[in-house]
Parts: sequence; structure tokens; C-alpha cells
Amino acid sequence: MGYAIKSKLLSGTALIAAGFISTAAWSQEATIAFASGELGATSYNPVTSSNLNSATSLIYDRLVEQDADQSYHPHLATSWEEAADGMSWTFHLKDGVTFHDGTAFNAQSVADWIPDFAETENAYLVGAVASVEVIDDLTVKFVMSRPEPNFLYNLSSSFMGVPGAAAYDSLGENFGVTDAVGTGPFKLESFAIGLETVLVRNDDYAWASDLSENQGAAHLERVTFREIPDQSTAFLELKTGGLDVLLGVPTDFLQILKAESNINVIQMPGTGINYMPINVTAAPFDDIKVREATALAINQEAIVSSIYNGVGAPAHNFLISSLPEADVSPELNVSFDVEKANALLDEAGWVKSDGPVRMKDGEALSVKLFTQNGTEFTALAQVIQAQLADIGMEAVITVFDSSTIRDEYKANRHQLAVRGYDWNNSDILDWFFSGERLGYPNVSMWKDEEGQRLNDVAMKDSKNSMERVANFKAYHEYVLSQHLFVPIYEPTTNIAYNAERVNVPDPVRGTRFRAQTVLDMTVVK
Amino acid sequence: MLLRYTFFRVLMLIPVSIAISVVIFMIVHLLPGDPIDNLIRVGSSPDDRTALIAKYGLDQPLFVQYFRWIGAMFQGDFGEAIVLRRPVADLIAQNLPYSLQLGALAFLFSSIVGITLGTISATTRSAWVEQIVRGFILIGSTVPGFWLALLMILFFAVQLQWFPVSGAKGWQSLVLPVLTIGVGGVALVARVTRVALLDVRKEDFVTLLHAKGLPSRTILTGHLMPHAMLPVVTILALRIGWILGGAVTVEFVFGRPGLGSLLIRALGQRDYPVVQGCLLMLALAVMLGTLIGDVAQAAMDPRVREAKT
Repeated sequence: MGYAIKSKLLSGTALIAAGFISTAAWSQEATIAFASGELGATSYNPVTSSNLNSATSLIYDRLVEQDADQSYHPHLATSWEEAADGMSWTFHLKDGVTFHDGTAFNAQSVADWIPDFAETENAYLVGAVASVEVIDDLTVKFVMSRPEPNFLYNLSSSFMGVPGAAAYDSLGENFGVTDAVGTGPFKLESFAIGLETVLVRNDDYAWASDLSENQGAAHLERVTFREIPDQSTAFLELKTGGLDVLLGVPTDFLQILKAESNINVIQMPGTGINYMPINVTAAPFDDIKVREATALAINQEAIVSSIYNGVGAPAHNFLISSLPEADVSPELNVSFDVEKANALLDEAGWVKSDGPVRMKDGEALSVKLFTQNGTEFTALAQVIQAQLADIGMEAVITVFDSSTIRDEYKANRHQLAVRGYDWNNSDILDWFFSGERLGYPNVSMWKDEEGQRLNDVAMKDSKNSMERVANFKAYHEYVLSQHLFVPIYEPTTNIAYNAERVNVPDPVRGTRFRAQTVLDMTVVK
Repeated sequence: MLLRYTFFRVLMLIPVSIAISVVIFMIVHLLPGDPIDNLIRVGSSPDDRTALIAKYGLDQPLFVQYFRWIGAMFQGDFGEAIVLRRPVADLIAQNLPYSLQLGALAFLFSSIVGITLGTISATTRSAWVEQIVRGFILIGSTVPGFWLALLMILFFAVQLQWFPVSGAKGWQSLVLPVLTIGVGGVALVARVTRVALLDVRKEDFVTLLHAKGLPSRTILTGHLMPHAMLPVVTILALRIGWILGGAVTVEFVFGRPGLGSLLIRALGQRDYPVVQGCLLMLALAVMLGTLIGDVAQAAMDPRVREAKT
């Protein structure tokens, strides 16, 4: 609040205001800026929203939490049983939990909440639930219409934070906008869309998950979440004390942040992969040898050290490394091997003559490399262009905005593309490689009988979580064997904070920065 | 007479608005990309996607979609945002006050400072005032808004720490955005004021006033200014719309909500109803600005209203 102190000199009224702000700064409060990817939420209604931000997890608790290692932990549910045939799930609920409006959380709260999803765009989360039965006050049974081995993942999502049924019904359209009622460690005080969300402590809170050290009410009395779309502005706010925590710092900002003495950076394992899909329908990539050569030409380790200063990890297959389905047979992982790449291109008939670019039947090995705007992707595309040149492949880069590039994919005008995804579940394989989604999201344009069979087995025939892991692993391995993409990089999620103002636990538990971390945060005296 | 002229000008707005609505609708819908891809998430099925396209009527021919939109518009219904999931009227109502506040202050700043600088420059012909005006003109007409905004932040918020870096809380947060947007206007207004004053000074009636022995100050405020203000008012009125549109990048850099921030977000996600609503509001602001300018001119100069009616 440096500016407030200086403004004392400016006028008498500012003196009073500045005095107020300075005393407020000493109390237990923190200001957090959202990551750029979670800006623009228009509601804190978890049931109907398409876009929820980190503050949502502070207002609502979930039945189940997921940790960074992808394991599931009890929260509002203390334990659960999955029927052997996958046709029902029984959850035992925590006793003594109350909503912000004083009403009790119990089995009926769950039974009232699930039907609200019907007809919303989030309905797929409970698409397999046929009915919800209240067994007793603290036991609830989900009767399934088909096995859903991914059910715990859905339950741990922000969209499945449990709202207070009474308030949900009485507020209607305004639920999550003017007011929000959950069981979370913070209550919604004010929400100015596009500007900020102010949350105040729920003093009654005593039901944290085991992802938090602190099992009682939060140390912070008040948390303000701000929306700052421009990354440079957000950095300057952090530097000058206008912000205490900045979520989602781009990797290229890390060097600058580390130079600031008052700023600490926490690197969490990320939840996505940057990769290069290959369009299998566009020559020369209809030849699997050319695809494999392209994959072997990319030096992941060199990219991590040159572009990302060693932050994050090289990616060698399609899934983030903490997922069990990422643990494929070692020979299927894609790693840099320029000699093999050159040999494969020779075999495929693309030969080096006098120029630097390979030729076949009088045609040069020149391909289109698309990417979307944003410094990270354009820098990545340039390095890939240089690495492809080493195997005699000329790549011509075109940069599009993120909506326009999807039209290019759908019109099948692409060959190679540099892109990324953010999703910590193996069903991302279905999303990007299902033959029913050619163009976008299936940028590889891959439609294959065996692939579709393995996809169907993984998506529909898995009875329980063990089977699901095995089925998705088999599908993943087949996808890898077809060289449909080149894995590049597994980014970290970077959180920067002002160490003179707040303490943030490191490592951050959970898959994202959420309530469990805010519960453990304290203000530096 | 003035009333009749105003009525005639307001009537003209109707066909213009309809033409603009067609242009806006076409531009927005012909942009590559669509909102549904920004709405669906991993886990939803291809059928969900088809259902959503149908739900928002995006499978209908464009002219059907246009008439649906414009029909609802005539009943005051801006429609429902596809990705942002709120009534467009609500979103605009939440953001417009921020833009109006910023725009009005920037407008006042550029009018007052611009006219003052222009007048001083024309009457004193002092070299240093001339230099300041030139400086404003140079910065205002050449430096991009977002870059000027960052410079302002670095100097006034990071170095001097006089004002907050970003946000929309308190009067302090308004100072830098107002300065950033206002600088261009100051230059323009000062230049027009100066030229107009110098022109009027050459008129015969001014020589006569001087000959009659009136004090220079009375000549300036009572006779020169009313004449010279005509082009200034026209320029100012045209800037009403420009200021709202020009605030787009400035709002982004300063992290302020507003019509510009809303438009940028909606455009990125191809949220058609929101983009259409925002563009229509901006077009309306430009039209109103021109209308106010014309009417003010007619009120100030009888020749204008007689020639045009």
C-alpha cells in the first residue's frame, strides 16, 4: 500500500482514507490475483457456470478432494464404497457441517443438489447417475445407470462444490451473483464482475480436508481476489505491494520475479502438456515414417533448458506424469533421436540432394506449422522450426488467434501445429483422438478402427477405476504407436507471492491453488 | 426552428442504426471461430455440442438469426450471453458505468486543458506554451494508448508510488487512465482552439472592437470565444464516441472493468450476443456524439439550422 502512504501528502481527505487502508493492511487479509486463464467468471453458481475461478473453492466444499499425485482424499464425504459392478456409489458424510446460512449439510443436501444439474451444460458430470437415495441422515447412495469409474474425479471438480439447497432455490438466477451459500471456509461478501471478489472468513469452519494443516477456521479474515488481465500490470502490482499473491505466472516472467528480493515463487506440478499434433490426412504426414521422423526430431530436453530455463519437465507421451496411464512401455515414449529420424526419412524416399531441404519426386519437404498467438507458443514454434530444419524439413510458421485457428483445423488446412492443453485426466485422450471429433479437438484428424475400439472400451466398458486405468493405458499406448503428435513440454504452475506480506505453504497441496492452501496461509506480522 | 432541426436529426438515427446493426451482425458472424468451442469442456460428448449449437440457434440461416436478434432488440432484449452465461443487458449495465466515468472525466480533462492551452497559445503567442502544446500533440497523436499506459504506471505508480498500478477503487485509480486517454484529446482540442482563435482575430469586426477601445479580455471572452468555439464543439462531440472506443486497450492495461474489457473478452470467445451488444453501444455513442455536436452547432449558429432544414 505504498501509494496510500504517499497520498497522505496530497490532501486531507486522502489522509483519512490512507490511514484506514494502512491499518487494514495490518489485519489478517490478503489480495490474490487470478491466473489469466480463469478471468471473466460471471457467476459463482457451480451448477450452471461454464467458467469458475479459484475463489469458488473457498465458498463451496466438495465431497472429495484430489491431491497433486492424483490421489483422492475425503472432505465432506469421510469415506465411500464403489459397488463391484460399478452400478452404485455409497458416500458417508461428515457430521456437524453447516452451510453459511446456518442450515445443516446432510444426505438430503446431496439428494437436493444433484437433480439441479439436469438440463444444464454441466449435466455430463452426473450423466451416469440414475438416482440419489438417502440411506440415513449421513449416508447417501448414488444409483448409476452405467458404471462411472471417473466419478471421484467429477466429484472433486469445482463444478461439484455443494451449494446450500434452500438458498439455491430462493435466489434462483441470482445465486452465485448477488449471494452464494456453501459450506466453505469463506463467505462471499461482494462480487464485482470483471473487477474483484471479496470473501470473509467463515468462523464456524471446522471441517477441512487432510490437504490442509489447519483444520479450523482460516487464519486470514478476508481475501480479495482481483482480475488483472494484463500480465505486466499484475507483476507491477505484486512488486509494489498492491497484490500479495499472483496465480499462474507465465514461465518467461520467472527470471524477472526471482530478481525481486521480496517475491517468492512456488512451482507446482502442472496439469497439462504442450505438444505438436500431426495431421495424418495431409501429405507427407499420411506416411507414418515421416510422422515418426518428425517426432524424433524434436529435442524436448533442449527446449526445456533453452526456452523455459530448466523450469518444468520434458514430455515424452501425451499425459501428465502423475497420471498412472502415463506409465507406458518405455519404448513407446518419444525421445529425441536425430539419426533415426534421418534414416526414416531416407527410407520414406525423402532424400537430401544439394539443398538443405529434403526432396521426393521433385517436391521439397516443406510443411505448414500453425500456432496461436501468445509469446510462449510463438517462441516454441520457432525452436521447433529450427529443430525440423536439422532433419531437412522446412516448416513455415503461421500464427492465428485461438478462435481462428480452430476454423483452420476444422477446414483441414493444417499440417503441424504447436498447442497445449490443461487437463489432469486420461479422458483427454478421447477428447483429442476420438474419430467423432475430427478437425477440432481431434487436430491429428485420426480416425482408426482399432483406435476407436480401444477408445470405446476405455470410455464405456471400464467397470471400476482399476479397469479404467488399464484400458486407458492400452489406448494411450496404441495412440503413441501411431505417431499422431509430438510431446514437447510439461509446464509447471507458478505462484508468486510477496514474502514480506504473506506466508504460503510450499509445496501447495492439491491439483490447483485452492481452499486447502488459503486455509494454511498466514500474514507476516 | 431548433426543435424541428433536432427532431429531423433524431429521425435520421433510425435508418442509420438499422444499417449499423446489419453491418455489426455480419462482421461478428463472419469472423472465423465460434462460441461453442469456448463453451464445451473435456468430458462432454459430440452430441452435447450439436445440442448446444441448436440451443443457441446457430444452426439457423444467418438472416433468420439476424431477424431474431433485431426483433428481440426492438423489445429491449439484448439476448443471453452464450459463453458468459448472463443476460447481455446485465453485463453491459455492470460495465457501462466504469466506461462512462472514465470517458466523462477524460472528456472533461481534454476539453478544459485543451481549450485553456489553445487559448493561451493563441493570445500570448509565447514560445514555451507553444512547445507544451506541440509536446501534447506529438505524444497524443503518435504514442499508442497501451504503451503510454505502461509508461504512466512505471513512472507514477512504481517509481513515485502516487497512484495505484491498476484497479477501479477510489479516485486515485482514475487519475492515470484519465490522463492516458485524455492526452490525445488535449492536443487535438488545443490545436483546433488555437487555429480558430487566430482565424477569428483576423475578422474585420474584431478590428472594429479594438478600434472602439474594448479591453482585450472582453473581446476574447465576449466576442472571439463564441465564434471560435464552433469548430471546437464539433471536434469535442466527435470525441465522445472516440473516447469510449479508445478506452478499450487502456481499460485492459489498468485492469478496469468496462465496455472495452467486456468487448475484448467476448471477442476472444466469440460470444456473439455480447460482442454485438457492445459494438452497438459504441456505435450509439458515436451517433449521439455527432447528434449533440450538430444540435449544439445549430443552437450556436442560426445559419447551420436554416441551411440544413
